[in-house]
Amino acid sequence: MNKVMTMHKAISRFVTAGDTLFLSGMQHGEPAAAVHEIVRQKIDRLTLVSVLVATANLLIGEGLVDRVLTGYTNQDERSYAVVKARDAGRLPVFEEYSHFGISLVLLAGQMGIPFIPTRSEIGSDMPKYNKNITSVKCPFTGEYLGAVRAVNPDVGIIHVQRCDAEGNAQKWGTMGVDVEGINASKKVIVTTEKIVDADVIRRDPNRTIIPSFRVSAVVEQPFGAHPMHLAGCYSGDMWGYYFDTGPKENYESYVKELVYGVKDWDEHLKRKAEIKPPGYFENFRINAVESDPIITGY
Amino acid sequence: MIIRNDENDKYTAADQMVVAGAHQIRPDDVVYVGLGLPFLSALLAKYTHAPECTIIIENGIVRTTGFELPRATDTLGVQFMSDQLTGLFYVSSLGQAGHITTGFIGAGQVDRYGNVNDTCVGDYYRPSHRWAGSGGANDVMSFCRRTITMLRQSQRRFPGKVDFITCPGYIDGTLGSREKAGLLPGTGPAMVITDLACYTFENGEMVVKSVNSSVGATLEKVKEEVGWDIKVAADLTDTTPPTDEEIRVLRERVDPRRIWVGGKRTPIGKD
Repeated sequence: MNKVMTMHKAISRFVTAGDTLFLSGMQHGEPAAAVHEIVRQKIDRLTLVSVLVATANLLIGEGLVDRVLTGYTNQDERSYAVVKARDAGRLPVFEEYSHFGISLVLLAGQMGIPFIPTRSEIGSDMPKYNKNITSVKCPFTGEYLGAVRAVNPDVGIIHVQRCDAEGNAQKWGTMGVDVEGINASKKVIVTTEKIVDADVIRRDPNRTIIPSFRVSAVVEQPFGAHPMHLAGCYSGDMWGYYFDTGPKENYESYVKELVYGVKDWDEHLKRKAEIKPPGYFENFRINAVESDPIITGY
Repeated sequence: MIIRNDENDKYTAADQMVVAGAHQIRPDDVVYVGLGLPFLSALLAKYTHAPECTIIIENGIVRTTGFELPRATDTLGVQFMSDQLTGLFYVSSLGQAGHITTGFIGAGQVDRYGNVNDTCVGDYYRPSHRWAGSGGANDVMSFCRRTITMLRQSQRRFPGKVDFITCPGYIDGTLGSREKAGLLPGTGPAMVITDLACYTFENGEMVVKSVNSSVGATLEKVKEEVGWDIKVAADLTDTTPPTDEEIRVLRERVDPRRIWVGGKRTPIGKD
């Protein structure tokens, strides 16, 4: 089934207020365009599960998040988004894990089991303040291990280099918690640099990280991970983004001009190109390197 | 009392930290590094005495070749020409299964028993100071055979007991405290490296092992900047200073763009 649709339609149809939302892209290829669309549609009361997703600050700052499952987030005045949320009475609850802990709650979700044991977090004070980390006795050896509770996000969003119209999605480069997070999610939105013919996918099927029957929507969105980099496609401007949305004035002007002030991501990119110095996007061009193709056939 | 930290000097206290870190990397080590000075230590070791070492980075990067020093943990430069690109679950599992020999982390605070606090000072719900949290640091300190913590030293950052244990060291200092908590024997903090000194652990307690006299530190200054009456190793020595060759490699190969000067990242760049 062809699942290609606009970003607006994918987000409005599959992301609902009150959802637990997984965002892919741990400092690599996050679904920035999709995040901006969620903010534009003001879908709120979200529980957010993500690791080092830069644009997640917009969701917090705009008061759309009730709870964050996190390993690492600035929670104090150094983040204007946090200050803004707090001043509006919309500061989320931060449920803290280690990074491996986050990958495990998602892996357990992917596996369809209620919890998973680990040797991380158990020696720390995290379990005292997070009821979803505890300890468990191994039924075979009798030893004590940590345990984290599974999470199955209502919806997961991933940005990839290529995907076919049915949703067979391929991503490469560093994977962060993408594979576990997207496979743990009940509904999946794939945003992609390019929609390719199904045969392109099928000539290198090991690269597929989620199969089409698990995917609800496919959105073609070039530069959809900007300001982050995406392997094989473009480099990024993470520090520029942190500056653009860091101090209060910058943040407010960013959301006014580049989130609410545009109708979609293509317009966002066009407007940003006007605001930034000439050649801003051209600077992200990479020197592409190719490996030998993998060989299939019979 | 002046700690050398002028980039016009031949080397700075931060360079001494990087070199001391590199010296902890053995030729056959599998090293997990976090952003900042540990990246420099790993690359320096790679380009000098440990060309065969394997470098593992949290987002899912495994490499045995050097790379362009980044301003962030994941950049296309760090990914480029890796031996393996995978995910956080995979590389952390390498650690949990005992395959990572040495881990490097930064820290907000470190206490007498090597416990690291990256979470908060004061009450958890009403903290007087907040850091961003564990990231991968808890995993590294929980799993690796040897964990090396690198941070700038001050009394505030060296309390006798941290308010929040983000990464377990020897917890309360009693024998077997890590094992009792569910951690594997033969893991835990091995060293703490600061701008003033290097510390090791004796019976679960931090001791001064060597003083960074090459950059002007003295034992007196070191003790002043520790929040408890710290013990001194019987074989206390001076930290091995950087050689001319190490400084040359650091400047010309590890960080030719000079993006980590004096232990701090220089302002925004392309990556």
